[in-house]
Amino acid sequence: MPYLPLPRTIVPVVAMATLVLVALLGWGSFRDPETLWAPGDLSRYHADVARCASCHEPFRGPSSVKCIGCHSETKFAERSKTAVGTFHREVITQQKTCLACHTEHRGALAQITASAMFNPHGEFIFRATGTSSCSACHQFGTRFGARPTLLDNDTIHRLLEKGHGEHHLGRMADCLKCHTAGQYEAGKGDHERE
Amino acid sequence: MTPLSRRLTTIIVLIVAAVAGAFLFESFLSIGSPSPFAHTRQGYLLGWIGLGIILLVFVYPIRKRIGRNRRWPRGWFQIHLVAGVVGPLLIFLHSGAHVHAMVPLLALAAMVVVVLSGIVGQGVHYLALRTLNDRRRQFHEEGLGSEEIDLRLHRMAAQEEAFRMWQSIHAPMTLMFLVFTAMHVIGALYFGGL
Repeated sequence: MPYLPLPRTIVPVVAMATLVLVALLGWGSFRDPETLWAPGDLSRYHADVARCASCHEPFRGPSSVKCIGCHSETKFAERSKTAVGTFHREVITQQKTCLACHTEHRGALAQITASAMFNPHGEFIFRATGTSSCSACHQFGTRFGARPTLLDNDTIHRLLEKGHGEHHLGRMADCLKCHTAGQYEAGKGDHERE
Repeated sequence: MTPLSRRLTTIIVLIVAAVAGAFLFESFLSIGSPSPFAHTRQGYLLGWIGLGIILLVFVYPIRKRIGRNRRWPRGWFQIHLVAGVVGPLLIFLHSGAHVHAMVPLLALAAMVVVVLSGIVGQGVHYLALRTLNDRRRQFHEEGLGSEEIDLRLHRMAAQEEAFRMWQSIHAPMTLMFLVFTAMHVIGALYFGGL
């Protein structure tokens, strides 16, 4: 069934409207690029200090090199807790990607570290193992949010032996369930007080 | 309820259900993930697939305009209809219900206008035009004069006229959709990496 031809003015009107919008977007890209291009607001940690180019390299995406520009080894050594500082200095030395654990543009109040990366054992684990970094026992992947895996090394073997069967997978994160305030509580596990 | 308003209501209900379904499915896919599905690798991939399917719709208008001696490309028109619904639905799944940046928002809005006008054109206006012509032919066969027919079909003709608006929107707004989609894709590659 034939339809009537389009009115002649329609295409130029839409083309002009598109052109005006593109010009406005171009202008806005210099004034407020985040509103036009970002998939979400920056977190409170970066909102006042970072611009797009602070973290992104053109056509390469967010870059660990840019992260390290601000979050340098020196900064970690000076300002962080020992475990956090040691871990991040290792990550920087090994040139691993920051994006495996960190993200952005999830809103001002959002956490930018993947939830799996908080220390479920508490600081107690470092005293128990004599280590100072999460990477002494865990392998961290390169995909954001992926759970770290357990290494097969002497530290792990010693910890398993110490627990006499109580330190098994799935229970390791619950240190403080039995070791209240760092002391072993009788009756909550079968192994001897360490 | 007239057949026309029944058709319009059905189409509106189906569109709302389909878009809500896509948004709900995106929320379901985001459960347990540190990032919304739309911001994951799979979400990006879905955007590319959606765009690829949408690009199929352009074969029909190109074939229709090039080589005028050829028959109306019915097969490509059917692909135009299916790809014009499936592609945008995948884009809704790709975007989710949490659009932040202005550029993809404009691309999405232009897509909605193009798709809605296309669906109204095919589903409602076509019915209005066919009903009007059938009724006009029927009155002619009954021996009524042109003025009498126009008088009797006044309301139906006004409805057909109103829904003809889709024609002035559908093709011209495609230009705006293509421009903003190109900007969105280039922006995503620029900030997110190739």
